[in-house]
Amino acid sequence: MTSGAQPASFPAPGAEARCFDEAAVRQMELFVRDFGRMYRERNDALREVTRAHHAALLQLSMVAELKDDDTGVHIVRIGYLAEALALKLGQTAGYARMLRKAAPMHDIGKIGIPDQVLKKPGPLTPEERQVMNRHAAMGAEILGRSHNIPVFRMAAEVAATHHERWDGTGYPAGLSDEAIPLSGRITAVVDFFDALTMDRVYRPAFSVDTALQMLASERGRAFDPAVVDVFLLHRAEIDALRIRVSQERPSFDDLIDWS
Amino acid sequence: MKKILIVEDHLDIRKLLKMTLEFDDFEIHEASTGDAGWVLAQEIHPDIVLLDVMMPGSLTGLDVCRRIKSDPNMRHTKVIMLTARVQASDREMGMAAGADDYLMKPFSTLQVLEKIYRLEATL
Repeated sequence: MTSGAQPASFPAPGAEARCFDEAAVRQMELFVRDFGRMYRERNDALREVTRAHHAALLQLSMVAELKDDDTGVHIVRIGYLAEALALKLGQTAGYARMLRKAAPMHDIGKIGIPDQVLKKPGPLTPEERQVMNRHAAMGAEILGRSHNIPVFRMAAEVAATHHERWDGTGYPAGLSDEAIPLSGRITAVVDFFDALTMDRVYRPAFSVDTALQMLASERGRAFDPAVVDVFLLHRAEIDALRIRVSQERPSFDDLIDWS
Repeated sequence: MKKILIVEDHLDIRKLLKMTLEFDDFEIHEASTGDAGWVLAQEIHPDIVLLDVMMPGSLTGLDVCRRIKSDPNMRHTKVIMLTARVQASDREMGMAAGADDYLMKPFSTLQVLEKIYRLEATL
């Protein structure tokens, strides 16, 4: 759509300033038009490849999840809850949308954890714990291979840092406070809440109130106080979203495409 | 769809800019003087303005930029100044007038789009 406003005072219509010879302009226009076509074709192709790659990595994340859980909807919920919390924290819609697409892959590294550790019913030995904790770095490595695409760069960041703790006692790097990227701080909180409020093979779901209390008690310990505060402030809305996602079960396509 | 206003007195440059923006889905508006650009800006409240510094008429690009930046209806509007390479002080003057970014002529087609995407992400 174009609205060509006429020059107000100078120069007179039809006598506008020209820079180039007429033939040169026509040739330039053809170059630009061809370039535009190639630009669009290249972007479409890149989008398609990114999409397919993203879908494959989400499938892989779901497989990793299914190894220690009976449902894949958890990872989709993580995406939507992380997006909602990011928006409540005042992040841009673009950042929040990217987090929705990135956060569900945070546990993809579990694909590399042996089943006897991942699926062990009882508590883990210190050695097993060490093996288990490797999933963060492994996930970051898998996702980091696509670091030139922003959403995978963020996903790698989330995978690497979602087990860091605000007080600095987390893993793998022992980062603390704001040295932990916001994406990781947000994902840690929604992962904690969502995991508590779902049934596990070894325990039934905690009530929402209990989960919120447990979340509050980790304020400033495991989690960023500001993130916990905003979560608690909007707890009704966030929990309603959790229930809605569980019921509507958005597909990976919804997760990737919906803007 | 984001609204973009091109204010540029050279017909050829304006056309090349417009063709570049047509690579993507933008609603494109054009004006060929600062005065006409200011009138149009008040009417359409563009998201992004590509604004030439040197133009005939009573308002220069810098004047239009200052007016846009002090108009409460255009708080969201981002301004990219178009400057000629020789005028190195243009950048400082543009920033002082509240411009969000600037582009040197001759402009790179990809750079135009990249700058717009970058500003768009903050909208």
